[in-house]
Amino acid sequence: MSVRLIKYIEGDSVVHRLDPRAKLTFLFSILIALILTTSLPLIIPLLAISLTFYLSARLPWDKTKSTWKFTVVIILVLSALNYLTISVLYGGEGVNLLQKLTSQEIILKSITPVCKLLTLVIATATFVFTTPPNLYAPALGQVRLPYKIAYIIQLALRYVPEYIAEMSKTLEAQMARGYRPRGGKNPIARILSIVPLLVPVTISATISIYDIADAMELRGFGEEKCHTWYRSLVMKRGDRLLMIVSTLLIVVYTIQYAILLLT
Amino acid sequence: MGSRSFSVTGIVAMGVGTALYAAFNVFFNMIQLPGTQLVALRPSVSIPMFFGYTFGPIVGFVAGFLGNIISDAISWGGFWWNWDVGNGILGLIPGLAIYFLSGEKLFERKGLLMASILSIVASILGMGFAAYTDYIFGYGISTIEEATYALFLPAAITDAINGAILTPILVAAYSSAVKGRARRS
Repeated sequence: MSVRLIKYIEGDSVVHRLDPRAKLTFLFSILIALILTTSLPLIIPLLAISLTFYLSARLPWDKTKSTWKFTVVIILVLSALNYLTISVLYGGEGVNLLQKLTSQEIILKSITPVCKLLTLVIATATFVFTTPPNLYAPALGQVRLPYKIAYIIQLALRYVPEYIAEMSKTLEAQMARGYRPRGGKNPIARILSIVPLLVPVTISATISIYDIADAMELRGFGEEKCHTWYRSLVMKRGDRLLMIVSTLLIVVYTIQYAILLLT
Repeated sequence: MGSRSFSVTGIVAMGVGTALYAAFNVFFNMIQLPGTQLVALRPSVSIPMFFGYTFGPIVGFVAGFLGNIISDAISWGGFWWNWDVGNGILGLIPGLAIYFLSGEKLFERKGLLMASILSIVASILGMGFAAYTDYIFGYGISTIEEATYALFLPAAITDAINGAILTPILVAAYSSAVKGRARRS
């Protein structure tokens, strides 16, 4: 069920075959590098790297289309908003508005944050598209993270579809008692009809916590300090290469940041 | 505190809270507020607040943090770590009630008022953190005015209203629901 919810796209590309741990490290290094840079010439290589990462996954267009539509709309809105506010508020050397709108400094200033956002979105979307969700918890458990933390993620992913089903069940139960959800064709009203479900679903889920905890305790969960995983992950040559690239990225951008601070 | 949060009940509470928050957010993420950037009207913010209030601050933080990551991944496959931390703070602050009130008073009238006030504080702090880190690290935003009017104010105000009304309701409903059952500590 959760496989269908999270948009994993099956495939057999280089990126699909990579170890999820290596991909996580890569994502983390991109994030660190983006935090440390502020200039456009340094963001463009990062953008290129995450684009190569995306392209080598060879994802089919018709399955990624909806995500891209959404991303493009957001990025267009963001860049327009940025462009306007910067030029109105901090309009550089120009005297009238037109001169302000076309000065080079302002165009550069408004493009940079949008490029940062784009880089982050491409890298994370590739990770979500190419990693099967049932590998998230084993991957986190095998980077020496305490298994209890990995288990929280495992539990959460297992219960998301359950609660979505629970919501429609509760709605039907309330309708059987005479509750009439508003809506019809108005999409917003239909979504707002979920609000009365918030309290009953949350409370019944909260009470079931004690039963789940009892069941897990009876099976001996939390007794031992170590935990083995059904799927053991093995690092291959490609994974090591990606790890080296990620480490290099972090090192280079940290040095760059240190130089920037010193001068 | 730490040992109680990582007991088996605490771990299951984190998992269930995360799942609930993610499941509701998937629907509420569709209602974007006009004129803002990716700020959605979400009555579901009361879930991490409620979990923080009843199960302790760490459980609330994890429910908000992971729940936001999962719902963002389902809705549009993105990852904004500072908004995730901001959502975690939403759950963390109401959990601090344990340090002001003793165990029984937590579910009485004074406790409900406290839950309401702490939810407002949590919304201001959590969304403030998320909006201004967006500005500091330059994720799509480059002026402080933009961060205030397009991100902080709409997010904090809607979250504060939703949290202040719904969290006490959830706490009261929970306390009357568990009354008949054998409570575990």
